[in-house]
Amino acid sequence: MTLELRSINKRFGDRDVLRNLDLSVADGECVALLGPSGCGKSTALRLIAGLDDPDQGSISINGENVVAIPAERRRVGMVFQSYALFPHLNVRKNLELGLRIRGSRAAERDERISNILEVLQLQNQAEQLPSQLSGGQRQRVALARALLRDPLVYLLDEPMSNLDAQLREELRPELKRLMIGGSQPVVYVTHDQQEAMALADRIALMRNGRIEQIGTPQELYHRPETVVVAQFIGRPQMNLLKPQNGVMVGIRPEDIRLDQQGVSCRLLSREWHGASQMLLVESERGPLRIVCAGDQTISEQIQVNWERSDEHQFDLDSGRRLSD
Amino acid sequence: MRRHSAWIVLLLIWSLAPMLWQLLTSFTTSAALVDGSIPFLQRWTLNHYRELLSSNPPFWRYLANSSMLAAMSTVLTTLLAIPAAYALTKIPKQWRQPVRFVVIAAALFPYVLLFLALLELARQFHLGNSLLALALPYSALQMPLALLLLTAAIEGLPVDLDDAARLEGLSLRQRLRWVMLPLIAPATASTAILVFLFAWNEYPIALTWLSRSDLLTLPVAMARIAGSSIYSVPYGAYAAATVLGAIPLLVLVLLFQRQIVRGLTNGAIKG
Amino acid sequence: MALIFGWPLLRYAWLSGHADSVLTGLVPVANGGANWLRLLSDQRFWVDALQTARFGVVSVGIELILAMAIALLLDQRWRGRGAVRALTLMPWALPTTMMALGWRWIFNTPYGPIEQLAGSLGAGPLNLLSAPSLTWLVTVLADVWKTTPFIALILLAGLQTIPDDLYGAFRLEGGTSVQALRRITLPLLTPYILLSLLFRLAQAFGVFDLIQVLTGGGPAGSTESLALYAYLNAMRFLDFGYSATVMLGGFVLLMALIGLGALILRLSGLIRPLQT
Repeated sequence: MTLELRSINKRFGDRDVLRNLDLSVADGECVALLGPSGCGKSTALRLIAGLDDPDQGSISINGENVVAIPAERRRVGMVFQSYALFPHLNVRKNLELGLRIRGSRAAERDERISNILEVLQLQNQAEQLPSQLSGGQRQRVALARALLRDPLVYLLDEPMSNLDAQLREELRPELKRLMIGGSQPVVYVTHDQQEAMALADRIALMRNGRIEQIGTPQELYHRPETVVVAQFIGRPQMNLLKPQNGVMVGIRPEDIRLDQQGVSCRLLSREWHGASQMLLVESERGPLRIVCAGDQTISEQIQVNWERSDEHQFDLDSGRRLSD
Repeated sequence: MRRHSAWIVLLLIWSLAPMLWQLLTSFTTSAALVDGSIPFLQRWTLNHYRELLSSNPPFWRYLANSSMLAAMSTVLTTLLAIPAAYALTKIPKQWRQPVRFVVIAAALFPYVLLFLALLELARQFHLGNSLLALALPYSALQMPLALLLLTAAIEGLPVDLDDAARLEGLSLRQRLRWVMLPLIAPATASTAILVFLFAWNEYPIALTWLSRSDLLTLPVAMARIAGSSIYSVPYGAYAAATVLGAIPLLVLVLLFQRQIVRGLTNGAIKG
Repeated sequence: MALIFGWPLLRYAWLSGHADSVLTGLVPVANGGANWLRLLSDQRFWVDALQTARFGVVSVGIELILAMAIALLLDQRWRGRGAVRALTLMPWALPTTMMALGWRWIFNTPYGPIEQLAGSLGAGPLNLLSAPSLTWLVTVLADVWKTTPFIALILLAGLQTIPDDLYGAFRLEGGTSVQALRRITLPLLTPYILLSLLFRLAQAFGVFDLIQVLTGGGPAGSTESLALYAYLNAMRFLDFGYSATVMLGGFVLLMALIGLGALILRLSGLIRPLQT
């Protein structure tokens, strides 16, 4: 199964939310839409779901244009950021509602629901109301509902942003096991690059209603096409040195090493993270972030260096990558 | 707690004393009401209640009239207000503010001023002396308040819920039935109670629309006792009537005070 | 809704330009501006307007202050709060007409408890319902008793939206609880106060049930309200044309009053929070 968006435009009032957006997601592929808030990623998701209509462009699922098909019949499974569980129904009834509406028989419903409850370890919560569940449990109910939809496409809208960091890490493998890697295309909206890198086959980095760059996490990390991508992907952020001759040079903090022959710097601050530490230093080429091993001893004055081949060069005016 | 208790007692006395005095009066013989020298044990009677229930038409008739009228108004208002409120939440944005302003203005309008025109309408269409017909203006008069409360409730629902229901394959009608209606049930309950209280207590329109004594609502019937003569109001019987007429309301308020408060404040402030 | 609210106003406008009374055989006859001229020179109308305004402003003022106190009390945490809240709500739920007659008994001279108390203190008889200087206060009291709980609940709901942290932060800044009331509670409560003010003023302006049953407008017309005057014109004097004029005139005055109030509030910068 595939999903294909062709030259989608969407305006809200006088604001262009999406401009000429193209995106194709292959059979079983997971694409993350990554970007700051307001970049249009959630709108794109709502258009695919049919909750909003594009002003222009086509959306095809398995080669069939679905723009005219209302959300009710589009067969997408969506997990909302707020989970959108029906607060007046207990877990079982939450899952049952859609199945019943779609005309599945009682015996079949019961079987499918008890299966899914077991898979998601929610058997003991079946009769509880959403308000009685923990955040992680609510999230799993939302997943279960999307799974029971038998969708052609999975859409995930910041599904983990309401969970604490530890729970997120626990749920990631679960999500991967249940939704990602089946035959359905998955579109995953997030503003968390770590999450996108961990789950997605490809990442589409969005900005101002356009896709800035799309590619595998490795491509985005190693060959960012623009300064924006370079700054968004990778933590700590890439260093941008003082521009010279219309060229901006970027170097990742993890590519910088201590070297007696290198540029001399003055230490401004340091954060110790255990296995690694992050230094903030002042050099003649501007302030630099540096990541080095946690057990390294650091003095006030240090010298650093890096390989020329690790440098990323961008045009100062357009922000685009200069071919190397 | 200790620090507040004096104030709490004062508050309760202030709120309840007048009602308790009525209760006391209703059990006091007519003679004792005007003669403080009658010994304590000879002051009490149930006669006022007996009188009320055996008068013509019997007192329970008014209670029944009021209950019926209030129930009909409530049902009618709720049935009309829910779809109307839903429609109001779906109108285009630029219209929403003016429409809301009109609704609020109507809700604030001192409706007493309308009685004359309503009376003319009643005459024109022969709606006087019919409890069923009286429910019409009652619903209309309470419609603005009902709309405010219900639109606030509907707008308060998370948008995601409706979207999630659509993706589950629910049609508009199914979403209203299975998602929206159950979720606005608390607001509907408070609306219904407020409409009920209004219809139960309404006076000027009932006064001008109803003249047959077997159709009078409670407030009109009681005012009629008062109007019979300034000087010889049968206070004992009257107090008994107050007690009987108040009981259903007090039960209602005690049972639903939470909904009343929530409904009033939600609609009022968000609206 | 348009029918019930809009039509009457149009109809009144039309009627007010007509003579429609027993004299014309209850058939409307156009009489130009005669009704309006009569209104302008009708002393009873203006006296009633003043009395209505006096009643409205005084009772709503007292209600707001009392309600604020009650709301603050109910906002504290103590056992049995829910029950007390329900009990204080009761006066509001009772029909006005019902309690109005109850008040007549309580303020009765000489058998009512108030007069008996005053008598035993040697202050009686007060003639509460037949002394113009006192009777209007009785109507105010009855109105305050009935509607204070309603305002108190609206204000209480407002109080409960104020996060406790604000008070904590204010105390850390060194503020006393009285200052907190003035600097935090009142400003944040403004929309709720304005709302109840507007709502209650409009209601008090149409006061009818209470006056009609409690005093009948007496003694000597000293408690008569505009709504009652309009009612008497229509139902007792059967002068529909003039009754409509009185109601429209009263409505115009109410609008003017509210407009004036809004202007003052806007100038003093208080109305802004209402529009958020």
